[in-house]
Amino acid sequence: MPDKKVTIQATRFDPDHDEKPRLQSYEIPFSDESMVVLDALNYIKSHVDGSLSYRWSCRMGICGSCGMMVNGTPKLTCNAFLREYWPRPVVVEPLNNFPLIRDLVIDMDDFMHKLKSIKPWIIRKQEIPLGSGEHRQTNDQIDEFRQFSECINCMLCYAACPVYGLNNEFLGPAATALARRYNLDSRDQGLTQRLPVIADTEGVWECSFVGECSVVCPKGVDPAKAIQQTKLDTTMRFVLPFGNRE
Amino acid sequence: MPTSWWTRSRNYFFYVVREFTALPLALWLLWLLVEIKRAGDGPARYSPHGSAAFVVFSVVVLLFALYHSFTFLTLAGTIIHLRVIDRPVPPSLIVLSQFGLWAVASGVIAFVLIWFGR
Repeated sequence: MPDKKVTIQATRFDPDHDEKPRLQSYEIPFSDESMVVLDALNYIKSHVDGSLSYRWSCRMGICGSCGMMVNGTPKLTCNAFLREYWPRPVVVEPLNNFPLIRDLVIDMDDFMHKLKSIKPWIIRKQEIPLGSGEHRQTNDQIDEFRQFSECINCMLCYAACPVYGLNNEFLGPAATALARRYNLDSRDQGLTQRLPVIADTEGVWECSFVGECSVVCPKGVDPAKAIQQTKLDTTMRFVLPFGNRE
Repeated sequence: MPTSWWTRSRNYFFYVVREFTALPLALWLLWLLVEIKRAGDGPARYSPHGSAAFVVFSVVVLLFALYHSFTFLTLAGTIIHLRVIDRPVPPSLIVLSQFGLWAVASGVIAFVLIWFGR
């Protein structure tokens, strides 16, 4: 059907000229059932309005760059099919809970700072020389943390989290899930370095378990589970005798 | 965040309902403390507060308490991460055990209250 059209309403905001963001409507051809929202934005940028700004990279749900609000829900736009919305208009807005830089581009500095604060890498008390061989793990040991390692830092969970929206000091879902990923890794010995951040009042204890972070995650990670398990673990470390042992 | 954020989705709405249920429950427990203090004056001078409005309020609070307890115990399967003989305990079994403990604790408390209240 060559005449099929879809209406995209995208947020436009130029900090040099606009006082606040506004929606601009574009009617574009809906030529292919496999078109996703990102394809529509790319069409607009290539054929209608080259000034539209947004982030994207891989187009296959791996890089986590193209997260936006699609009809009010945080989505990877490369994974949001237009056919699921058509014939209704598709409203594309920047991710909630983040400062806006321009159009659909948000400022992710706060998230990057939080991500770095939980030291998302394997920490060893003493590095073993490469020549002594690899750190071997069993399948069970990998299964302990595998789910949390699927996080692609797309920040959809932050956009869905009202706790973060109300208090952006909160460490947030993805950073906690990644902290748990490393804390559960049998090769890692960095728990005590991460505890001051994750067990802080602005860490896991700020979460009141809305659970929406796990609902919107495009990779099936369950950050709400990571947060609640971390609450239990840190409590047990405090309550149990020898709970603070390494 | 607009103040109406909790009306944006069904999940947000039920989350706020879940959190709100704690408030009337706290009020009811405060009233229970008042009743206990009044009962301390002796059985001759004590008459329990039994107006229709209070009974309705108590029933509503009971429903809220059951809803809050149900959501809390259901989430136990997500939160508790147990291994027995090197195998993870299924979340459904953890949830079942929590509801079992809840039923046992409720039975024991009811027995104690009825036994000493006679």
